[in-house]
Amino acid sequence: MQMNRENAFIKWTLIVGCELFLALFLILPLVFIIQTAFAQGLATYCNSITDQYAVKAAWLTVKATLWAVGVNTLFGLSAAWCITKFAFRGKKIISTFIDLPVTVSPIIAGLIYVLTFGRQSFLFPLLDKYDIEIIFATPGIILATIFVTFPFISRELIPVLTAQGVDEEEAASLMGARTWTIFRKVTLPHIKWALLYGVVLCTARAMGEFGAVSVLSGHLRGKTNTLPLYIELLYQGYDFTGAFAASSILVLLTIIILILRVWLEGRGNKRMELRH
Amino acid sequence: MSGHNNVSEKAYVELRGVNKHFGDFQALKDINISISRGRLIAALGSSGSGKTTILRMIAGLETPDSGEIVIDGKVVNDIPGSDRGVGFVFQSYALFRYMTVYDNIAFGLRVKKWDVATINQRVKELLNLINCEGLEGRYPSQLSGGQRQRVAFARALAPNPQLLLLDEPFAAIDAKVRLELRAWLRKMITQLGITSIFVTHDQDEAIEVADEIIVTNKGRVEQTGTPRELYVNPKTPFVASFIGNAHPVENYDQFQFFDRLGEGTRAIIRPEFVSVFKKGENKQFVKSAEEGVVEDVIFRGSSLELKLRLHGVTIPATRSVNDSIIEIGETVDVFIHRLIVVDGEKIIVQHNKSLKKESVVI
Repeated sequence: MQMNRENAFIKWTLIVGCELFLALFLILPLVFIIQTAFAQGLATYCNSITDQYAVKAAWLTVKATLWAVGVNTLFGLSAAWCITKFAFRGKKIISTFIDLPVTVSPIIAGLIYVLTFGRQSFLFPLLDKYDIEIIFATPGIILATIFVTFPFISRELIPVLTAQGVDEEEAASLMGARTWTIFRKVTLPHIKWALLYGVVLCTARAMGEFGAVSVLSGHLRGKTNTLPLYIELLYQGYDFTGAFAASSILVLLTIIILILRVWLEGRGNKRMELRH
Repeated sequence: MSGHNNVSEKAYVELRGVNKHFGDFQALKDINISISRGRLIAALGSSGSGKTTILRMIAGLETPDSGEIVIDGKVVNDIPGSDRGVGFVFQSYALFRYMTVYDNIAFGLRVKKWDVATINQRVKELLNLINCEGLEGRYPSQLSGGQRQRVAFARALAPNPQLLLLDEPFAAIDAKVRLELRAWLRKMITQLGITSIFVTHDQDEAIEVADEIIVTNKGRVEQTGTPRELYVNPKTPFVASFIGNAHPVENYDQFQFFDRLGEGTRAIIRPEFVSVFKKGENKQFVKSAEEGVVEDVIFRGSSLELKLRLHGVTIPATRSVNDSIIEIGETVDVFIHRLIVVDGEKIIVQHNKSLKKESVVI
């Protein structure tokens, strides 16, 4: 009894603590964003979010995010597959390099690309000759976004694939199944939910990316400004309503992703329950 | 059982001078094996002895550094595992966990593009064979360990392989079910007449189930033979001490009627080499028995395990539970029938000299 009472006390303290923390650091700022966004009335809010620069910034963010998710899904799958299913020299190195973007400051990531593709780079004459613009243009923003979200998907997949081992794949291949069939029928069902989770994380991170993109963008309104950059621009210009209105778009996108994630997880769990 | 095999019978599976390294570790050293059609073979050894590598190599899951793998007269080194006509049962079964029992068994047949009706018929047939009718809609996680093993067995058999390979087929099953499954698997394989090789580290398992045992140690084949041959006639010190319940004895020449066979030799004694008699009970060996003291008596259910003190060494013996009771501390008559003497890499079975004129049947 004594023990139970003590446990109950700890339980409620922790629950209340968590909720207070969330309220203070998450809910309150969110409410504040919405409140400020609507502070000067609905009309101003609508004007702010339909502003052509805001729309273009939102569109660029979506575009960069889609690219990053697409590329990183492909890369994440191949990297995770290759690291967990094969034994080879240099595996450790590859594995470490994949994690690099998380440890490198985004600003530095941006600068790396400026140095690699900018005017002072030995690659520049080549790029110039073929009229390829990377720095201060959309490709640069996409590159930066891909870079910072690089490990998100592979890192979700590697533990799941490692835990699974290679037995099932070996069994399938001994029965004559081709690599693609093995991937589709044996590996994919296993990593489906981890993959989707990785995609969600990657999307969220890609949409919010500021640092690296900031370096590479050049801040051309309507051209190379993503939503986070646009928000900063408005904020620096004391247009709080505009800044928070634009933020609300980002918040909305995040909430859509969250709902998507909860829905996906729910489906995943239901599938699993059928199996037990 | 397939009965006795002639020496002239052509080998179905052969490994010729096979070597394999994993990095700096040499997993297999000049392996030569020959297996006849229809036999049930055990590859027995401790972990890291190379037994699993041999199996995976025959299946095509590993490639040898040098040497040839021959199945049914054809060198298969460059033929992928899926075209070798081999069924493989993995240690952990490796059932596809996101597929039903039906889909698991049908997988290989679908890959081979059998038509739906034939697949259906084949799966039904196999479910019947493994006594799992009605479980076709279940997922592997909903099966017991024994059922999983049987499904893995059925899945491996589905495409009618000529050779069945099983990697530690009983390792993941609890002791009680294991005994049942051993008997079941042996019956199944003998009934189907399919050449089978299974890997195990458990000598009881190998002795009970296999027609023939390949003993591996440190990447080499120590000896190949029927369980009886290995038991009675071990060819290497490793086999002599690995098979059976072996106890080393250094000064074996102090036992009566045994001679020392050279310097640096030692002996191995097994409980079944020793007869124990209560005082006065001994009639047959009355003149040649020695006196020993019982140090310990352990009840094993079906028999009694004794530890005897004789000339300052402890030797093992067994006694039937039907025999009259022997107490700890009792002085008994001990007769040692034979010893296995190890001389470097050579093995000599030395019989009790007092038996010399009688013919010894083991």
